[in-house]
Amino acid sequence: MTTADTTRPAPRARRLRRPKGLTAHLVLMTAVVLSVFPFVWTIVMATNTTQDIYKSPPKFTFGSHLLENIRHVLNTIDFFGSMLNTVVVASVTTVLVLFVDSLAAFTFAKFDFPGRKLLFGTLLLFMMLPLQLAILPQFILMSKIGWVGTLQALVPPALANAFGIFWLRQYIENGVPDELLDAARIDGAGFFRQYWNIALPMIRPALSFLAIYAFVGAWNDYVWPLVVLTDPDHVTLQVELAQLNVGHTTDYSMVMAGVLMAALPLVLVFAVFARGFIAGATEGAVQGT
Amino acid sequence: MDLSRRGFLQAAALTAAASGLTVACGGSGSGGTKNGKNLTLWYWGGALSDKVVAEAKTHFGSAVTLTAASIGGDFKQKLTTTLAAGSSVPDITGIKGEDMASFLPNASRFLDLNDLGFKKISAQYLGWKAKLAQTGDGKQIGFPIDIGPTALFYREDLFAKAGVATDPDKVAALVRTWDDYFTLGTELQRKNPGTYLVNNISAVFNIAVGQGTQRFIDKNNHFIGDQDHIRGAWTTAVRPYTLGIDAKINDNSWNAAIGKNLLTELGAAWHALDIEQAAPHTKGKWRVCANPAGPSNQGGSYLALPKQCRNPEEAFKIISWILSPANDARGFTDAAIFPAAPAAYTMPAMTGPDAFFGGQKVIEVFGPAAKAIPDSYEAPADAAVMAPYMTELTNIEAKGKKPDDAWHDAVSQAKQIARRQGVN
Amino acid sequence: MTSPPVTGPAAVPGHRGGPGPARFRPRRATPAGTTARPRRRGPLSYWRQYLAISPFYLIFAAFSFFPVFYSLYLAFQRWDGLGTMQFVGLQQFRFLWDDPVFWLSIRNTLVIWVLSTVPTLFGALMLATLLHSVRRFKGFYRIALYLPNVTSIVAVAIFFGAVFSNNFGLVNAILGTVGISPVPWLSNPWLIKLVIALLMTWMWTGYNMIIYLAGLQAIPASIYEAAKMDGAGPVRTFFRITVPIMRPIILFTVIISTINGLQSFSEPQVLFASNAANANLGGPGQAGLTTLLYFYQSAFLNNDYGYGAAIVWAFFLLIIVLVAVNWRITQRGRKP
Repeated sequence: MTTADTTRPAPRARRLRRPKGLTAHLVLMTAVVLSVFPFVWTIVMATNTTQDIYKSPPKFTFGSHLLENIRHVLNTIDFFGSMLNTVVVASVTTVLVLFVDSLAAFTFAKFDFPGRKLLFGTLLLFMMLPLQLAILPQFILMSKIGWVGTLQALVPPALANAFGIFWLRQYIENGVPDELLDAARIDGAGFFRQYWNIALPMIRPALSFLAIYAFVGAWNDYVWPLVVLTDPDHVTLQVELAQLNVGHTTDYSMVMAGVLMAALPLVLVFAVFARGFIAGATEGAVQGT
Repeated sequence: MDLSRRGFLQAAALTAAASGLTVACGGSGSGGTKNGKNLTLWYWGGALSDKVVAEAKTHFGSAVTLTAASIGGDFKQKLTTTLAAGSSVPDITGIKGEDMASFLPNASRFLDLNDLGFKKISAQYLGWKAKLAQTGDGKQIGFPIDIGPTALFYREDLFAKAGVATDPDKVAALVRTWDDYFTLGTELQRKNPGTYLVNNISAVFNIAVGQGTQRFIDKNNHFIGDQDHIRGAWTTAVRPYTLGIDAKINDNSWNAAIGKNLLTELGAAWHALDIEQAAPHTKGKWRVCANPAGPSNQGGSYLALPKQCRNPEEAFKIISWILSPANDARGFTDAAIFPAAPAAYTMPAMTGPDAFFGGQKVIEVFGPAAKAIPDSYEAPADAAVMAPYMTELTNIEAKGKKPDDAWHDAVSQAKQIARRQGVN
Repeated sequence: MTSPPVTGPAAVPGHRGGPGPARFRPRRATPAGTTARPRRRGPLSYWRQYLAISPFYLIFAAFSFFPVFYSLYLAFQRWDGLGTMQFVGLQQFRFLWDDPVFWLSIRNTLVIWVLSTVPTLFGALMLATLLHSVRRFKGFYRIALYLPNVTSIVAVAIFFGAVFSNNFGLVNAILGTVGISPVPWLSNPWLIKLVIALLMTWMWTGYNMIIYLAGLQAIPASIYEAAKMDGAGPVRTFFRITVPIMRPIILFTVIISTINGLQSFSEPQVLFASNAANANLGGPGQAGLTTLLYFYQSAFLNNDYGYGAAIVWAFFLLIIVLVAVNWRITQRGRKP
């Protein structure tokens, strides 16, 4: 807001863009540096040896041990196999979360039906309960249906997260005008068509964000996969990565190389989905759908 | 649009999403075959020698198929959850030494190894270690893998600089009691300004408690954490703090400090690797000698057979093979696992000189220490009850809390936890 | 379907169309609650709606309801996770009441929550506004600022631990060059909380910024044009237009941050996990022991599942009170 102040005494200077833009970029760049710094440091750690990491002060320059560390990772764990598992689980989870949550959110946002408030209130309430304690009953449930040790056991608990519904309802409620749905109804569109053809395309930015949220969540999930994946040949990346970090001594540079390799796909996914925001309302308003 | 198609779409979409549940209900919950040909082994990285495990697979390959899973992260949580649910339970599992006491009340979840022949070979393993995995009525749950006999690691170069004897035997004689050790510490610090004798006082307390035969709860399930043996350990632990020879390291800076300003380090045999890894540049400058006032034990694990084990006889054969003295000794070379079988201590794998310790044969220190560790009783709630003492010792270091106040708070906290855990 | 989204997620109320057909729910037309209107249809006629929310609720019932009530049941038992349960009535809650560590953990959690949520949300809103205003490098900023949220918490904790290390940390090294003596970041109770809060702020600012950005992008540019015509400066525009329109989104993030912030757990856990000699969690003086971390210690480390469940439920009640108060305050500001 301090940035905005400086531009104030220029009421009608053509566009005001230049000075304001400059300060904005300065602030944003500072934030970027702060944000990226630990990430860069992860790379620094991954390219050095563990001893370099614990030097005082720590070494902050890139080293030449990256390939060696990566080789260590690949020799110690089944990196690509577990990564494939994770990709499958995270993708399936994301698609299901998007569908299930948007459908429910659309219903909550645009329709009234008996019990709506109660059902939605329950969601909110249960979001506040930490689910760590749920691991045991969830495991028992999974063993009852015979899913222990299988990858599909990871999906339902991730779907039971109410955040997506909460978030999408917030967006749909005001982002999808009632008039449009009215018009569609008059045109003969039923419930599902209203959802699929009208609501969904309009909430694409919100969906992109939820997709990232769900994907990152599934990708980084650790405790539940650790417990439920009893078959060593079917584990996810995070469980496999934890193998690097055991024993009395930890080879941190190797761990960081693993962490880095595991995070890169996420950054990629984010870069792809982040485009969804550009297709959002600002530009969309000009182009139409 | 036509109603039917709309309805179909809705239904199809919803079934697709919910199908998992419906299909699942029909699934079977069977835990696998019962022919006993497939055995799974759960351990964690560094618990066993991976090479020995791999050989066990081929060695027993004709009888059973052994699948070994090295599990990262919170091993105890995973084991507890699967045992509680009773499905996908491993046939053989590792149990960490510090968790053993808490599994003993549920001994019925495991097979009694004495029934399978442990009694006959138990003399090969350290009695005090085996006893810690035994219930009151003599059921043997755990087969000892390794132990963590403690000793005093010291910087030979800094000792020499201070004009103090550097030979392990001579140093051991100099630090026969805790008081001797601390007195030596003040002298060393005077000659090596900016250095400290101990890393933190919780470590001292931990070892001092382990030197006794009693801990915080006695065999009658009474809280004894306010008695003289604990008070004594506490007083010992506070000494280096009052003498100013405590480095008060309670954060992650140990790694940076170890090669720098720590004169000595108290720790178990496996701790040597930590030091080596954190401070490789100090290679050759360290020596090991007997722990002041006698050894104690830190860590060391077991193998156990859960009740669900699909082939107990074969599984017991496998673990007694993996943990035979000869293979146990290889664990020391491969993974710095200090064997629980004394016969291993004379094997070539363990008697060689260690370059990190200037060519010292460290087994000469750890071997006798392993045998001298006292029999002690560790109650299931012991670790939980001990926690407040550690917290309060840290409070002394971090906040300058008065040691007497800290003691009182620790005891009242410990009593409360004890009551919660059903100790009277 | 060519109509563009003219209203954003937080559209200015007052220019929405008239009430829709019966089944349709015109939100503002029923301020007194739906029961006031004569109901023309029975619950069964809403089968589409129920069907639409059923996939979620089926899974939700199995994987949230059931475990949660199971844990409520546990709070009245003594149980080590494997043996037989023993009903102990309200004993666990009585223990809780007398347990200074529990209250310490509550204090820690609240302090860490305030120290992290306020700068996170404020910073996120500021960054989102700035990011919305610039034209170039938008994609780059968005990705760079969101990076912390995908970075492994383990890597972050090691990083923060190294940077703030008392004796050998970078921060103290820098302070040393300007003559400031070393600050005990990781042993002073307040500084420990500050470091944890910083870590959380770092991790979650970009995430909230993205949420705000989504909201900002949905505000029609015409509103800003109009404001500019009226001669409103950027600060005025921000407080008079952006903030009110964004209010529902801000409320949303406040609630989500409250829920997440109060459930902080892995941050202090990994930050102080390297202290192998000390079995305690939460660092020196347990200054970083949050309530959830205490729950974890009680249930999974001390095998006291009943007590762990009691901690979680007592804490749950506390969060509800906090969220209710939060909601009240934010809603009140809406009236005028």
